[in-house]
Amino acid sequence: MSDDTTAPAHTPPSAADQPIAELILHRKILVVCGAGGVGKTTTSTALALAAARKGRRVLALTVDPSRRLAQTLGVDRNLDTPVSISPERLAEAGIEPPGSLDAWMLDPKLVADRVVHKLAKDPEQIERLMNNRIYKGLSRMVAGMQEYMAMEALHEFHLEGKYDLVVLDTPPSRNALAFLEGPQRMANFLDGRIFQLFVPAGEGGGGFFRRTAGAVIDRVNSMVFGEESYRDIQEFFQSFSGILTTLNKNAGSMIELLGNPDDVGFLLVTSPTDASVSDAHFFRDRTREMGLPFAGFVLNRSQALAGDRTFPATELLGPEPTAVARSALKKLQVLAEVERSEMERDIHLLATLAEESGDSGFALATPTVPGGANDMPSLIHISERLYHAAPYQV
Amino acid sequence: MKELFEKRALLITGKGGVGRTTATAALAMAAARSGKRVLIAEMGEPEEDLAALGRLFGRKTLSADPVPLARNIDGVMLWSRKGHERFISVVLPIAALVRAALRSSALRRMLDAAPSLNELGVFYHMLTLARAESPSGGPAWDLIIIDLPATGHALGLATLPDRVLQILPNGPIARAIHEGKDVFFDPEDSAMLVVTLPETLPVTECLELLEGLRETDMPIGGVIVNKVVGDEFTEAERDVLDPLVNDHDLFGATRFLGIGMVERSLRHLRESTGTPIWRLPELSTEGPGLIHGLSDAVLASSNDSGDVE
Repeated sequence: MSDDTTAPAHTPPSAADQPIAELILHRKILVVCGAGGVGKTTTSTALALAAARKGRRVLALTVDPSRRLAQTLGVDRNLDTPVSISPERLAEAGIEPPGSLDAWMLDPKLVADRVVHKLAKDPEQIERLMNNRIYKGLSRMVAGMQEYMAMEALHEFHLEGKYDLVVLDTPPSRNALAFLEGPQRMANFLDGRIFQLFVPAGEGGGGFFRRTAGAVIDRVNSMVFGEESYRDIQEFFQSFSGILTTLNKNAGSMIELLGNPDDVGFLLVTSPTDASVSDAHFFRDRTREMGLPFAGFVLNRSQALAGDRTFPATELLGPEPTAVARSALKKLQVLAEVERSEMERDIHLLATLAEESGDSGFALATPTVPGGANDMPSLIHISERLYHAAPYQV
Repeated sequence: MKELFEKRALLITGKGGVGRTTATAALAMAAARSGKRVLIAEMGEPEEDLAALGRLFGRKTLSADPVPLARNIDGVMLWSRKGHERFISVVLPIAALVRAALRSSALRRMLDAAPSLNELGVFYHMLTLARAESPSGGPAWDLIIIDLPATGHALGLATLPDRVLQILPNGPIARAIHEGKDVFFDPEDSAMLVVTLPETLPVTECLELLEGLRETDMPIGGVIVNKVVGDEFTEAERDVLDPLVNDHDLFGATRFLGIGMVERSLRHLRESTGTPIWRLPELSTEGPGLIHGLSDAVLASSNDSGDVE
């Protein structure tokens, strides 16, 4: 592994040969998408590490790190601000100034509280908002809040300008695309028309028709939510209307920001399964439709690069092998057959992804890391591999 | 694993890539073969091509209303919008009001976008299916098996009812949640099963998930260790191969080393948790043959946690 930890040659990498290098050296935001279990968190951490090792000031935002990964970085979960990795660990990771690596395990509640603190007018308002029952419940919810809060955190750190690059590991989801819908869903949720639903009838003003419609909605709402809860909800929307309007603007500017191909790249991490091709196809389509800059596909846990392995031939056993040795090798050969066909499958898959990625995107493969990326050397190993990875050429 | 078939609902979770959907299908097939009427469910949009569970039964998509997949097995896509519609039509007394509410684009957008209302819709859809009755009376299905999307969702679902009750302690939503808790959180009727692989990292993640789940009211049924490969190597054969795979870059080495880790991972799992553990074998078949083969294994499988039997 020693050759992976040495500094790379000083020739600047070109996008065509080393697409990951180009991304982490020049973009400001990388959004790493992928279904659960494909190695998305490890990949995005490795990307952040690679960028920091090349001298950039990097923030790794993640939602659901494994405990071991958090330990490897020396970062606790549930801290209310990003933390810098300790100097010893930076040194261990081969990161030298100006390069730096901060990490933050996103906790939706903490992000929401930060927003309230930042946008509230005075301490009294903070107090009132933080104690609102609906707010307390909502901000503690995991389901559905992660996407919003990841987006908000991304917005905040981007504006702050403290980092050259923010790498966002998107929340785990059934399909890789859930996060893409985030900004639009957020804008929808924060849409003024939804507030109207919860403004008590009559207060909204307007003509006879509007008042009548308002009364109907009022009735529907109080039946759906129950009288008492409906009043709580109305109060929530009234107290938070200012903050929600700001968040709505942020969501709008975030959509604009994420569409900038010079600054942003969307990566899809996938693994060799039946679903990966259809996921990739869908991802490509959706990013195009939404005007988001698609960067490429990373086929993780792939054996596509394993072509330099050799088949365990009988010659390995030397002259006159024992019966035990022969039977052992025979069993190994069965496993080797399986791995060889998996390699062929993965190469085919990679070729399909490369075709899917089009002219401006790329597809590349990364191998399985035995035992997972649980310590700094293996994380460095993965990050170097990604940095130097060549795209599949159709 | 047959003892699980006496429940009303099984919730299957685990990290992506561990074979959760396959395990769901195999459990369903085994229960169906034991004479149970089974409903299997996954989450998503009906008619979209991502129906992984449907695919195992040769269907590209599933709909929000149950359809027959195999003998004694129906399949459904749990869909938040279906749940919302059902809920609204139960709560609102007048059909015209229901139609107006469902036509309201603002309400529609709110239901689609508000945090957790989506999940609540899915929860309510689950509840309506659990309550569904057969024409002859009694529940329409003996057993409902739900393929939950990912680890995070399992915890999200496990904590959802109490979180929502915190926000909305009274009213129709709260009543529905209490009713849902009676079904899905009752250890008599329901169990969550965590699927994992016999490898170091998946076992660690499984233990973390179990720890998280123990802080909730969700009844934990046990762990299913999937893709357990039988170790066909004798000690003497290992001694021959160990130096070979170290000195050469060989095809087959990854699997050979992985097999050596299986028993160690299982032991770690056994020692770290008191829940039942079942094994499912790795089979080389695919599609319906795989599900059938695994259902054989389900029917034959007994608790491996060491403290039972």
